[in-house]
Amino acid sequence: MTTADTFTAVPRERAAPSVDRRQAGTGWLMSAPALALMLTILIAPVVLALVLSFTDYSLGNPGFNWVGFENYERIFTRSTYAKMLSATFTYVLTVVPLSVGFGLGAALLIQSLTRGAAIYKAIYFLPVMATLLAMTIVWQLMLHPSIGVINRGLEALCAMPVTRGLFSLSFLGLSPEATWFGRVCTEGTPLWLGDRDYAIWVVCFVGIWQGFGFNMVLYLAGLTGVSRELYAAAEMDGARSSWERFRLVTWPALGPTTVFVVTITCIRAFQAFDTVEALFSPGGGPGKSAYVMMFAIYEKGVTQNLVGIGAAITVLFLVFVMILTVIQRRITERKVHYA
Amino acid sequence: MSRLSPSLMIRHFILLIGAAVVLAPFVVMLSYSLKSPAEIERGTGGLFGAQEMMVDPKCALRSAPRREDVEAARARFPGADDGTILATLTNEARAACEVRPVVFNYRSAFQDAPLLRYLANGVIVTASIFLLQMVIALPAAYALSKLKFWGREAVFGLVLFCLLIPVHAIALPLYLGLAKIGLTNTYAALVVPWIVSAFGIFLMRQFFMTVPDDLVDAARMDGMSEFAIVWRVMLPTAIPALLAFAIFSVVAHWNDYFWPRIVVTGDRNLFTPPLGLREFQAGADGNLYGPMMATATVIVIPLIVAFMLAQRRFIEGITLSGMK
Repeated sequence: MTTADTFTAVPRERAAPSVDRRQAGTGWLMSAPALALMLTILIAPVVLALVLSFTDYSLGNPGFNWVGFENYERIFTRSTYAKMLSATFTYVLTVVPLSVGFGLGAALLIQSLTRGAAIYKAIYFLPVMATLLAMTIVWQLMLHPSIGVINRGLEALCAMPVTRGLFSLSFLGLSPEATWFGRVCTEGTPLWLGDRDYAIWVVCFVGIWQGFGFNMVLYLAGLTGVSRELYAAAEMDGARSSWERFRLVTWPALGPTTVFVVTITCIRAFQAFDTVEALFSPGGGPGKSAYVMMFAIYEKGVTQNLVGIGAAITVLFLVFVMILTVIQRRITERKVHYA
Repeated sequence: MSRLSPSLMIRHFILLIGAAVVLAPFVVMLSYSLKSPAEIERGTGGLFGAQEMMVDPKCALRSAPRREDVEAARARFPGADDGTILATLTNEARAACEVRPVVFNYRSAFQDAPLLRYLANGVIVTASIFLLQMVIALPAAYALSKLKFWGREAVFGLVLFCLLIPVHAIALPLYLGLAKIGLTNTYAALVVPWIVSAFGIFLMRQFFMTVPDDLVDAARMDGMSEFAIVWRVMLPTAIPALLAFAIFSVVAHWNDYFWPRIVVTGDRNLFTPPLGLREFQAGADGNLYGPMMATATVIVIPLIVAFMLAQRRFIEGITLSGMK
């Protein structure tokens, strides 16, 4: 940081060392509360989690035993935690690319409009603002197997020969079993949240639904920074189609935005909790298929009072976040700047 | 002049489909909060429900005629047998319990659970968090940007490191610490982990760096103390940044569910709005979808309305973290 230079340049302060000393005192006094709180509220818990992850501590027990790497060993050998890691990575690897992709797509489409851009932007941003827990409960109601609007809608589409033919692709001569929609019509509508094959995907869907508007706004901000001249230059070089222009100008120019958007979406995706807790508590869904890390920390560490395991998952989580940040820093440092 | 070229139409078509998916749950939430249980069960009533009078089942149960009511009413119905009197009284009671579905849903939302209390808790918690964040962050940001002291770079380095720690991730050790000192199930537990915002310090420090030193020097010449400078000189210049941070903070903590879920167990008096709604969903009334959706609407609406009124500020505030 270059902040120190601004001060050494002021001659008056050099002339009066007592002012310096008084300033130093006030400086410490003013940053002391923040410093103390950062150490107790943010740093100490990280250390505590690390220490506890090597113990079998439980809240209310007078003592504890050191168990070495037993908690970590469990995470990597027991099937429960294999499911946890699988659910977490399924979620992250689905939600991150799709919510970044939809965010970028929406930003590009909206930016190309002359009218109505503001209203689309406002609509797509609504889920970011809305209480996720409340909206999850609404989605749960919409996905209700018998009275939910989604299955009602599917039944209505199946009931009409035209739409049934269209969506099941039977007009192409396909058998009803060949398409998802065809199977829904012949075998009945899905149970959604009660079905192991759907549960985690519903959680992913709500995550994407909630988050892509945030990415859209970041991309819209990034797009305003792409200079018009670059497009003109690309056109002169023969980039006629809009795809060529996107590939040669827009996408590289959005590089820094993309690195940032992907990192922040990853970190948020790792923290998914509200959806899983509202839909699948206790247990984490059919066959633990939606047993994501945050939910595991809550269930093991808090509800079941298995602090050691919860702390080990916490440490693992922090490691993931650190790795992501290091990767982001590396890429950003190596970045070629276009602006 | 708007010429609708095919490509423009395709773009609008795609965006409209997206908008429909995004808006669908909001429409369902509002619509169900207006409908009667029967309409929700059968999927009738359109968007707003027919708003035909319905009998409030709880009220009907409460005012159902008992034996002594029948005895007392015998004078009113000379010659009628008990069965007839009972039937008449039941009908009267049910008629007195008739309400419009929209009234029923929203009244149940506020009466069956202390929703007002939950909302008040939400306001208390979010406001305390924001105020304390500022009380802690502003002097620190001022010291880190305008005062020269030994160790300043180290303190700022710590702020940068703390930016990397998601508070939700360290919830378990924080919870254990609070439990050890007996603070779970208190307002303090809901507020304390958030009062030091590394992001708030960082943001305000970056903003203060842009404030000219001359302004600070002039204030010192006037004999203002350093603390007075923070509150009376720096704070007023930082209002836009402060507002953006306020929105960021309030939205995050009004909507937060994870942390309150951990530190508040059972004590309804401390429930924040999301906890209240979750209890509704999990409780015996969980299939009373109308009142549940009314509760959800009441919780979601304040921020949505504020967003509609100040869209640009909200988008700036919530994407603040993009400024890093």
